[in-house]
Amino acid sequence: MMAAITNLFRAVTYRGQEGQIAWMLHRIAGVGVFVFLAGHIFDIFLMAFGPDVFDALLFFYHQFFFKLLIIFGLYLGVLYHALNGIRIVIIDFWPGMAKYQARLWRIQLGIFVLAYIPSATIMLSRMFDGS
Amino acid sequence: MQATSPARPRPASNFELYSWFFMRISAIVLFVLAVFHLVYMHLVIGLDAITFEVIAERWQSAGWRLFDLFLLVFGWIHGANGMRVVLDDYIHPQGWKVFVKSILYVVTFVLIVLGAYIIFTFRM
Repeated sequence: MMAAITNLFRAVTYRGQEGQIAWMLHRIAGVGVFVFLAGHIFDIFLMAFGPDVFDALLFFYHQFFFKLLIIFGLYLGVLYHALNGIRIVIIDFWPGMAKYQARLWRIQLGIFVLAYIPSATIMLSRMFDGS
Repeated sequence: MQATSPARPRPASNFELYSWFFMRISAIVLFVLAVFHLVYMHLVIGLDAITFEVIAERWQSAGWRLFDLFLLVFGWIHGANGMRVVLDDYIHPQGWKVFVKSILYVVTFVLIVLGAYIIFTFRM
């Protein structure tokens, strides 16, 4: 417990700047998507038991709270992890770009906002349309 | 007294190198497949419109089955390998490490088998 608090303190006070924040978000998003994916593979497997079983499960996906979690958790996490992953691939396969990692991260955040805001808005508005 | 730390010993196997390479290649594949999957299912089709019927119809096409198989294998193996690295970072006692990773590998085996089973055998 003490070790965890010490580590948390170190994480907050360590001034790793863009690289540290990019890494932290990448890891949090990755673990989150991993947990969702485990459940998602299993629920698609339930297709084997026919429409009654499968559609009964969908009630879970249609919950208001679950939809919010998809928009502000899963979708946000996948999009960030995907864009940051491409940045890592660029830097690893093209080492000259390592110098510009912080600038690349800002460009990446710009692309993220441009892609996420409109699509998430459509998803949110659908929740209230009932369509 | 050495001024610099000694050279890192040569690893016994190239596993971590292949793991690193796999993560980059699968990242590029998943960037296309996973982002498309999310946008298609949530923006084009919409969560409320997805039913047994819709997926059954989707699996009438071999192309969609192949797409889903790629998502399953690349998605989960990428995720499981990432989780292996995360576990290495946070779990230090050797016994716990082996125990938790064993669970990860069993879950990986089960999910790949279940997922591939339904993709290959589904009939209306």
